[in-house]
Amino acid sequence: MTEPATNRAFVRLSGVGHRYDPDPAVPPAVTGIDMDIRRHEFVAVVGPSGCGKSTLLRMIAGLLKPSEGEVSVFGMPVKGPREDVGIVFQKPTLLPWLTVSKNVLFPLKHKYGRYSREDEKRADELLAMAGLESFADKMPDELSGGMQQRVGIVRALLLNPDILLMDEPFSALDAMTREQIGFDLLKIWEENPKTLLFITHSIAEAVLLADRVLVMSKRPGTVLEMIDVDLPRPRSTRTISDQRFSELADRIRRHVYEPDAA
Amino acid sequence: MSLTPPEGRTRAVLMVAAPWLFFVALIGFWELVCQVFSLPAYVLPAPSAIVEAFFKVEISRWFTHLWATLRVALMGFAVSIVVAVPIAIAMMRSELLSRTLYPLLVVIQSTPVVAVAPLIIVLMGSGDPSRVLITALLTFFPLVVSTATGINETPPELIELSRSLDAPTRRETWQIRIPYAIPHIYSGLRIAITLAIIGAVVAEFVAAEEGLGYFIQFSTSFFRIPQAFAGLFFLAVVSLLLFKSVQWSQRIFFPWSLPKKGH
Repeated sequence: MTEPATNRAFVRLSGVGHRYDPDPAVPPAVTGIDMDIRRHEFVAVVGPSGCGKSTLLRMIAGLLKPSEGEVSVFGMPVKGPREDVGIVFQKPTLLPWLTVSKNVLFPLKHKYGRYSREDEKRADELLAMAGLESFADKMPDELSGGMQQRVGIVRALLLNPDILLMDEPFSALDAMTREQIGFDLLKIWEENPKTLLFITHSIAEAVLLADRVLVMSKRPGTVLEMIDVDLPRPRSTRTISDQRFSELADRIRRHVYEPDAA
Repeated sequence: MSLTPPEGRTRAVLMVAAPWLFFVALIGFWELVCQVFSLPAYVLPAPSAIVEAFFKVEISRWFTHLWATLRVALMGFAVSIVVAVPIAIAMMRSELLSRTLYPLLVVIQSTPVVAVAPLIIVLMGSGDPSRVLITALLTFFPLVVSTATGINETPPELIELSRSLDAPTRRETWQIRIPYAIPHIYSGLRIAITLAIIGAVVAEFVAAEEGLGYFIQFSTSFFRIPQAFAGLFFLAVVSLLLFKSVQWSQRIFFPWSLPKKGH
């Protein structure tokens, strides 16, 4: 979104941290995270393995209670799982006994025990948007990894959440599929604006897709820098050859390779 | 000398035919040994004598014995499923229950059911109920273990998905955990069905007036060895068919749960 719907903080993290081990000698997984995410903003999170990126995501999702600080959405503190949050996991985690379209409808079936004709229509539309309409009646194992992950994204969009949380969604895919699905995600996001938190290991992917990139330190995870990605949208493969793209990617890379110099 | 299979079509045919050919050759060898050395039937009956003995018994008698064994085996198998699957689900849901029950399950599993069978007959009489109990005792442990294993192997992301939807636990169990356990439950069922036949036969050895186990025992005690062998082979075929039926039911009802070839 070039023009965010509102400049007010939509998701606010104030001094958020979490420790799995109550022993104070063990450092917390994440600590002292302050961050405001605007509505319909695309924020990528990068950082070394084990820096608590997933922990952060789970706290925003309401799946994990912060042991310090508070997460709030639109001014309301997050107390538990929220209806307006969709999650996409690292693996597609589709149910192997359901067809593609039934997998997309699964959140409704699971939450309410049923779904309507309109819901089925919406699932079909979402699948068409992701270019999967001809696979609606296939079983997940008949799809390639990239297609399965697209179904995972479509499933997360079914309840039309305001917030989409993606936990390294493309890390299991090969490089070419990964680039393509990244652009597909941008297209989906531009058509259905969402506040998007995108965790990734790939610096290039973060810069290519996001409005801002949160760079985290190694454990205990803290904010090293919040980088504005001032690259024009829509982004494409041409963005990669932009001078500014390399500058931004280098700036993030410096945090990774020389954590103290930055 | 190496056993390198030939290429192409011949190879495909050989791959299918080899076990059958081997089986036929084995039977042929057995027949040959019995004929050449003129072994008496009470030492080792020739396959031809066994076949002859099989057809000497009236078909209706075979069915009476078959039904007696099959009835107990299938009822024991069913009781075992009805008991084991809910126990496994309950144990998965409650750590306290799991800690409470697990030692008891291990004790039951470690006790040789064959040794307990006579006591059960003394306690409960020699009717079907005691035989079904013996069969169920023998079969339910592998079912509990495989169901519990399957339920615990549900990918954690799916549990998170369920929790993020704030769905009731009941649906998490029915729509995610139990279907995920199906491949494991089936590996338990495959073991359990053959154990069910063993259970039924053991019960017949202790006290029975009919059944294939009883038939074998009684034929042996009257030195009708070819007839005992005929009963044994019949039992083996029945057991094999039951095992296959379990496989078929998985293929028909849960084709997605079968291991994928290739991909």
